[in-house]
Amino acid sequence: MNRSKTPIRMRFFATSALRALTIILMISTLTNPLHAEVDAELGKKLFKANCASCHKLDKKLVGPALGGVTERRSEAWLLSWIRNNAALRASGDADAIAIFEEYGGSVMTAFENLSDDDIQSILAYTDMPAAAPAPGGKDLVPVPISNVPAEDNTTLLYILGGFLALFTVLLLRIRNTLKEVHGDTATTVIQDANALTQWLVSNKRFMTAATIVVTVAFLYQLFWFMMGVGVEQNYQPVQPIAFSHKIHAGDNQVDCNYCHSSARSSKHSGIPSTNVCMNCHMYIDGSEIVNEAGALKYAGDRSPEIAKIYAAIGWDAENRTYIENYEQKPVKWIRLHNLPDLAYFNHAQHVTAGQVACQTCHGPVEEMEVMYQYSELTMGWCINCHRETEVKKANGYYANAEEGTQTINERLAAKFHDEKITVEKIGGLECGKCHY
Amino acid sequence: MATDKVYWKGFDQLANSEVSQRMAQNEFATEIPMEQFLGDDKLMGNAQTSRRDFLKYLGFSTAAATLAACESPIVESIPYVVKPDSLTPGMPTYYASAYTDGQDFASVLVKTREGRPIKIEPGDEGRFNRGTNGRAQASVLSLYDSARLRQPVKAGVETDWSTIEGDLKEAVAASVTSGKQFVLVTGSVFSPSFKSLIASLRQNYNNFNHVEIDAVSSSEVLDVWEALTGARALPTVDFAGADLVVSFGEDFLNGSTAQQMSKAFADRRKPGQGMLRHIQVESNLSLSGANADKRIKIKPSEVGSALAYVYNKVSGSNLTVGALSAAVQSAMDTVSKELVAAKGRSIVMVGGNSGANAHLAAAVNAALGNLGTTLRVDQPIFIRSGNDRSLANTMADMKAGSVGTMVLVGANPAYVRPGFAEAMAKVDYSLSLTDRLDETASLCGAAAPVPHYLESWADFMPISTELAVSQPTIRPLFNSKPAIEVLGSLVGETKSAKDWVKATVAAKGLSWSQTLHDGGATVSASSSASASEAATRAMAGASEAAKTATKMQGGDFELALYQKTVGAGNQSNNPWLHELPDPISRAAWDNYITVSAKDALALGIVNETQSDGALNGSLVTLKAGDYTLENVPALIQPGQAQGTFGLAVGYGRTSAGRVADGLGVNAYALNLPQGSGVVSITVQEGEHEFASTQLGNTMMGRKIVNEVTLADYMADQSGQSWNEKPTFHTMDGTVSANDANLWTNHDHETMHMWNMSIDLNSCTGCGACVIACHLENNVPVVGKQEIRNFRDMHWLRIDRYYSSDMSKDRADEENLGGIDMYAAMEVPGESPDVVFQPVMCQHCNHAPCETVCPVGATVHSREGLNHMAYNRCIGTRYCANNCPYKVRRFNWFNYQKNERFTSVNPAQDDYGRMVLNPDVTVRSRGVMEKCTMCIQRIQYGKLEAKKAGEPLADGAFTTACAQACDTGAITFGDVNTAGSRVQVAKNDARSYHLLEEVGTQPSVFYQTKVRNRA
Repeated sequence: MNRSKTPIRMRFFATSALRALTIILMISTLTNPLHAEVDAELGKKLFKANCASCHKLDKKLVGPALGGVTERRSEAWLLSWIRNNAALRASGDADAIAIFEEYGGSVMTAFENLSDDDIQSILAYTDMPAAAPAPGGKDLVPVPISNVPAEDNTTLLYILGGFLALFTVLLLRIRNTLKEVHGDTATTVIQDANALTQWLVSNKRFMTAATIVVTVAFLYQLFWFMMGVGVEQNYQPVQPIAFSHKIHAGDNQVDCNYCHSSARSSKHSGIPSTNVCMNCHMYIDGSEIVNEAGALKYAGDRSPEIAKIYAAIGWDAENRTYIENYEQKPVKWIRLHNLPDLAYFNHAQHVTAGQVACQTCHGPVEEMEVMYQYSELTMGWCINCHRETEVKKANGYYANAEEGTQTINERLAAKFHDEKITVEKIGGLECGKCHY
Repeated sequence: MATDKVYWKGFDQLANSEVSQRMAQNEFATEIPMEQFLGDDKLMGNAQTSRRDFLKYLGFSTAAATLAACESPIVESIPYVVKPDSLTPGMPTYYASAYTDGQDFASVLVKTREGRPIKIEPGDEGRFNRGTNGRAQASVLSLYDSARLRQPVKAGVETDWSTIEGDLKEAVAASVTSGKQFVLVTGSVFSPSFKSLIASLRQNYNNFNHVEIDAVSSSEVLDVWEALTGARALPTVDFAGADLVVSFGEDFLNGSTAQQMSKAFADRRKPGQGMLRHIQVESNLSLSGANADKRIKIKPSEVGSALAYVYNKVSGSNLTVGALSAAVQSAMDTVSKELVAAKGRSIVMVGGNSGANAHLAAAVNAALGNLGTTLRVDQPIFIRSGNDRSLANTMADMKAGSVGTMVLVGANPAYVRPGFAEAMAKVDYSLSLTDRLDETASLCGAAAPVPHYLESWADFMPISTELAVSQPTIRPLFNSKPAIEVLGSLVGETKSAKDWVKATVAAKGLSWSQTLHDGGATVSASSSASASEAATRAMAGASEAAKTATKMQGGDFELALYQKTVGAGNQSNNPWLHELPDPISRAAWDNYITVSAKDALALGIVNETQSDGALNGSLVTLKAGDYTLENVPALIQPGQAQGTFGLAVGYGRTSAGRVADGLGVNAYALNLPQGSGVVSITVQEGEHEFASTQLGNTMMGRKIVNEVTLADYMADQSGQSWNEKPTFHTMDGTVSANDANLWTNHDHETMHMWNMSIDLNSCTGCGACVIACHLENNVPVVGKQEIRNFRDMHWLRIDRYYSSDMSKDRADEENLGGIDMYAAMEVPGESPDVVFQPVMCQHCNHAPCETVCPVGATVHSREGLNHMAYNRCIGTRYCANNCPYKVRRFNWFNYQKNERFTSVNPAQDDYGRMVLNPDVTVRSRGVMEKCTMCIQRIQYGKLEAKKAGEPLADGAFTTACAQACDTGAITFGDVNTAGSRVQVAKNDARSYHLLEEVGTQPSVFYQTKVRNRA
């Protein structure tokens, strides 16, 4: 591995490319940054906003590694290169042309809106000595270690139990001693219990009541057991890639629809194809993830989980190219939400037409380290929601109609007056709407 | 007084033999066939299943099922690695394409889901022959036919393409050196790319010979048109300018451009002033004949003379006319009068493959001034170009041993032409580029798979004004290679099939992406054919043709070949085509000769209904010249001309696949390339079991199909006299069936109200809707035996009724009692009128099925539909018993698993399963099913509107049956949408409900049939 051993100096580690892109858009519209002096902290921000999608400090990305670039190039050259590299190349600068060709002719954006101070700040930042990442830093997104085991107090319970047993024996002893003192015959616990049982068994009222209670309890339990057959609530299988919705949807606020794009238009929400993963993971290989202790989780190597994406699609992370004629291996995810074939469910109906938030059925996905089935997905659960949820009447389907004809909203109002128009009222409980 | 007399059941018991003892002990005389019901014959094996065993199995399976239900299987969900842009999982993608199966051509849209073609839909408006007949609908299943050839085969052993191509090159080179012929045998070629390939083959090899062969030949007819117009092509028939069509045996509603023809025909058959009149002169009762206003029976040998007679009448000439029966002659007098009255606005068509007849028909059209007006010679149709003379020459060459190399592309002459198989023996090298190891390919030295039309690129020029493009909608399933690429390598052409098509599109000056998107493009025709010249030539040659026609041999019995939905037999291995009962005879899974009742009586042919309702018939042997066909079942067919038989081609395959092999008899074996001929018949020993889906033939005087003549219709357009609504006398006075009501009405005003109108005037009975319904709704195929048991699963059936000569009025006149009258009514007339009526679930608003379901599995929706929840159904079948329309279907077996349906049910096959519609549940054993009015399409259509935020537009979506109907007989929509087509139809004077008097208030209604006669 010809991997640079230079320690990581920056702290923008787990920022996703998406977020970076947003910031690029925001920052690039600003003409003059407020700070007009050379400042490595400012440089860091600018670097993140403008440079990070193509450059890293310690290794090649789309462009060369920039750590210590000031030692390799003169400041004046760097200024003109960064400001407008195409003009510099056009001027016939040999270095500029050489570096352009070295990187396969990929064109670097011109940054004419950056002042000299800005550029110098960035350069100052690239020049900063490598510092160990500070734990708890503002930008740091620690990867939490999941499933911290609860404190084990079983031993304590055993000890308490032992004490209680000893205490009971002592009390019985005392009772028998008192009985003997009183002149009665001492009885053992078993004899007491037998006497009680015989009295209870011979008591018809008790037996009737007990039979009823036991039967009802049994049937109740049986009913709920049977109702639970096929209900896979909390199903949480181990996935082939330890994908964390918390990191993606929670910490980095990636929109659900970015990956599950077909949820808006199709019956399936769709599991993103590997090329969608690569939109971000072409740049984010997980080598910068820090653990709770603040150390690099994979010692600067790429994350083995992200490496699985590369293995699936055939991405050569060293040379940053797709391997030609690679036999791609699709990722075999384990399906969580398994509706039976007899039920038809359509995501678009709920997401686009019904404007139901993903979390309504899928729960707090943004907090789930490992995805699990949040809802019961039983028919009763569906029906309850259809009974309560109001129809989105603003949709043109209900609100508009051809000239001179009644809209569905008007017809509904004529029938139900001021009542809340739930899904049930437009026929959302009818069998054939979901079963065909 | 008590007696101790003992009653003996038989001498066995008296002797107390072992048998009678055993019988006394056993409850049943024979074992109950438990395995039959348990379905999985293998599991049970041949074990004797005792009741205790049964209970054990029952207990075990209940426990096992409970346990199994607790543990869910792990389901993998595998996304694409790189998802294609055009595909969204769960959403259909449509591709415009062109359908060909070696017989038909149609412009179609292919619906794909997750990269699998699952449905064929009509192509863009304006494309040539857009629409889907039964074969086009079913063709998607032929793609997934597991009998397709998967690998190149050489001498019966699998090999690779390089071997095949190397061998071919060597063989061609050897033929060049030895001076032997290199013959290419194909079906009709109307692909510009393929034509240019053939041209360059001809240039490169002077020993090259190309033979085109159509299974059902039009060779002589094409010869006639070539002589008349210079183009070996048939003229376009234009119904728009016609008031009268007279067809002599041409079944144009079931022909090669049926989609186009049926649409134009139906458009001109809208009731009202100037409605097209249709006279059919024929021997077999064809689909066209069944739709005719007037039908005249004739023997095939008389057609030429009849045409000559008509020609004399309309042109005043004096051609020689052969002998005509008095009935035919008087009928021809009337026909001639009508034709003269409609000069220039009439069409005379002729069926079969007789040059003389075709020439005479052209002459009649010429005399009437129809050439250039209703028959467009400037728009020739190239779909047929088979040439029997060149085939005969080649067969002679083959027998003489002068053919060195023979390549067959999509042609199966060993099946359709007797003698070809023997002639092949002397060919040095033969290669069949084929979709399966058919009758010819299995005789060839080598065979290699070509892609299905849904897997390949191709271009077509079906008519001079249109270039159609066919594009792949799935990757080739097997190791196939387009024929154009294989043969291209012989002339050093390395272009892919796609590049061939691209080059053709570019050569026509068309935009590639637009042409591909539309499935084709209109091109300017450069036809030099002149209608007036053709007319002059036609009339000049008429006397010669009439002489030939008089020489036509008649006989006591003549056989006319015809085509059922299976067509010429290219798609014989497609079970959907067999499962669809014949529109006329209503028999499925068979071919048979159709015999008139009188001939049957004379010949001793019997059709007998068995005690279970099924039909058995006699077997006969047919002889035409030197060719004999044995074991032909005979079916008595009302409307069949006396002295004639009909027999469908496309059956009797021996090497097509497990569905087709051994089904029916091969009519081609009688060697009647003219389509008809004299036969002799002998009744054989034995009986044949038919699978017929309809017991009753007539309506027995009830108003099931309402019918009116055009004259009556015009006289009273309000319909009060001919479309009387049933009424009831109640204490509140006379009320309509809708008002005589026990129930509370459903709210059908607030949301949508889906209704369907079926125009009986437009329905031709072709059955494309039934097959479309099968595809769309995953309707299981049940096979012949189950259909014979009346357990067919069609959600939509097309009832056919014959008129009877008996009527209530006549019974009064003849003083017949009720029983006698109804008995007589059951017998169809000798020349009956025929009506077709598609019947599906009527979606009653007061549905009898709903009230009797003990578990609420069938319930009403506020959108006017009768829902069916399969998972609630416990299979009591009360609903089916209470349904007045008999449209509910019960799953007697698990058709997808049960071994007895392996050979017919496509869902039992890994390939066949790919055709299933993923939006529709596959039903299991023990549940009821029925038409849902394509609720998956309704839900999809509504959702698309909601996604777009727009109100639902009329016609935004429709049901599969309505979409498949070329004539537009089925209209579907929301009656609550003002001005919707279905609302207009509902308010039409012709509309009526089926069995309205029952008070079911159906959502489906019918439009009265109007016959254009006085």
